[in-house]
Amino acid sequence: MHLKAPEHQVAGHIAKDGKPGPLVDDKGRFFKPLQGDSRGEIEVKFYESFSSNTEVPAHIRRYFPVYHGTQAVESSDGAAMIVLENLLSKYSKPSVMDVKMGSRTWYPEASEEYIQKCLRKDARSTTVSSGFRISGFEVYDHKELSFWKPDRKLLNGIKVDGVRLALRKFVSSNTLSDTSSKPDSAFASSVYGGSNGILTQLLELKTWFENQTFYHFNSCSILIIYENESIQDGDARAQVKLVDFAHVHDGNGVIDHNFLGGLCSFINFVRDILQSSDDQSTQD
Amino acid sequence: MLKVPEHQVAGHIAKDGKLGPLVDDRGRFYKPLQGDARGENEAKFYESFSSNKNVPDHIRGYFPAYHGVQLVEASNGSGKLPHLALEDVVSGYAKPSVMDVKIGSRTWYPDVSEEYFDKCIKKDRETTTVSLGFRVSGLKVFDHLESGFWRPDKRVVLAYKVDGARTALRKFVSSNPLAENSVVPDCAFASEVYGGTNGILAQLLELKAWFETQTLYHFNSCSILMVYENESGGDERRRRARVKLVDFAHVLDGNGVIDHNFFGGLCSFIKFIKDIVESSENCCENGH
Repeated sequence: MHLKAPEHQVAGHIAKDGKPGPLVDDKGRFFKPLQGDSRGEIEVKFYESFSSNTEVPAHIRRYFPVYHGTQAVESSDGAAMIVLENLLSKYSKPSVMDVKMGSRTWYPEASEEYIQKCLRKDARSTTVSSGFRISGFEVYDHKELSFWKPDRKLLNGIKVDGVRLALRKFVSSNTLSDTSSKPDSAFASSVYGGSNGILTQLLELKTWFENQTFYHFNSCSILIIYENESIQDGDARAQVKLVDFAHVHDGNGVIDHNFLGGLCSFINFVRDILQSSDDQSTQD
Repeated sequence: MLKVPEHQVAGHIAKDGKLGPLVDDRGRFYKPLQGDARGENEAKFYESFSSNKNVPDHIRGYFPAYHGVQLVEASNGSGKLPHLALEDVVSGYAKPSVMDVKIGSRTWYPDVSEEYFDKCIKKDRETTTVSLGFRVSGLKVFDHLESGFWRPDKRVVLAYKVDGARTALRKFVSSNPLAENSVVPDCAFASEVYGGTNGILAQLLELKAWFETQTLYHFNSCSILMVYENESGGDERRRRARVKLVDFAHVLDGNGVIDHNFFGGLCSFIKFIKDIVESSENCCENGH
């Protein structure tokens, strides 16, 4: 089994300073090290529950990575890893964005220390104001023929306007590293719009969240992926996936109102960009 | 002639010489303008809202009509003070059951003082605000057997957890709210009050649709008031269940972002109501 570091990680843990990071193989699988202090356990428990939950409709299951159990991996000193579907294996040149959903990333069951840490981060970012924050993204520049990702520190300090700009840049083809030129949003309708686009998928998820009381997806992210190889022909193969379930808890008969509120806000941002790119408006 | 409102279930009450709202006999509710900018903010909201052409007419009905600021003899004897003159939302009811539900998984909002934030978050965590996205602030429910009102103490209401909130919502549409805790609330009026084409649920869904896209206001710390008639009149629409949004002291501009806090809490509240309607429909079939 030949394992290597994934190419397009935009957020979350990476292999650094001897600490294990995620790995991918050449068979479309993603290996995620089990995080310490019960988080890995919670994530496994979620995947076990979710994969066997017959009440989750099939059209919703597609928004979640396929679970392949846990495995001890030799190259990580036999450390236990969660084996998942590699969401990017079928993409040759993917642009990826990670959006952490919810107007709070903490939850009642968490430790006081964790709650305080989250409160600070939520207040500093757009989490409190907008119900979500962009954790990271990487986008392909069709002129420079290379990938670009914004500085993580810069991203942490953005406000609402910065979020809008990032969402536009994410679907643009023009020189992104040049901050003086406006993003052209050339791919907005191929990626965000259409009957199979991001907006349609998000709306499908929203309907499920209005009723499902199985899980509270605390601190989960929505990953948005699309293919650059084929996009000039209008084929974006845009996909929404939910990821990162280390803090998921039982819904206990209550809907995940925190995730739902944030999701609805995110939908509005995406819709606005789609509409303004359709209008070919030059105004921000 | 002004008097203390009979049906206040939450908020400041004008009794024992305290400053509080008053009602007249022409369907008006006078709310004293509170100090420290809150009163000003509420007046500012009503001014803005009443002239905002972007608010659809069918949504306007969910808000009390605004009649400006008026100098009115205050309830605490300190003479004429500015009051917000509003529609008294319970004035058309002879014997109303009323419930006040504060919507949102947080009652604080960006840029508040640390003191206010601490006060809010403590209350939010102690009540069902964080867990459910809403909390019951107060209620009074007419008991048809005892011929009197069940009016739980504020401290009891604020101590509700998830089950307490659910029970209160069931008792709200029951004819036996004063019965002992061992007696199951009968949910006798669930389908008339919560259900139906004009019931609470239908109204909440209409509001929800507006909240999905409106970016005009953020309704921080606002409440939904639910009212319905208990007095029998033989009329088909006798219950006249009504939803109203109230308490706009902390409303802020939306600035292009939806009120995701209110929206999430509203959806959670809708789910609770929907569950009660469905289980009361099943109830009848099972002969409970």
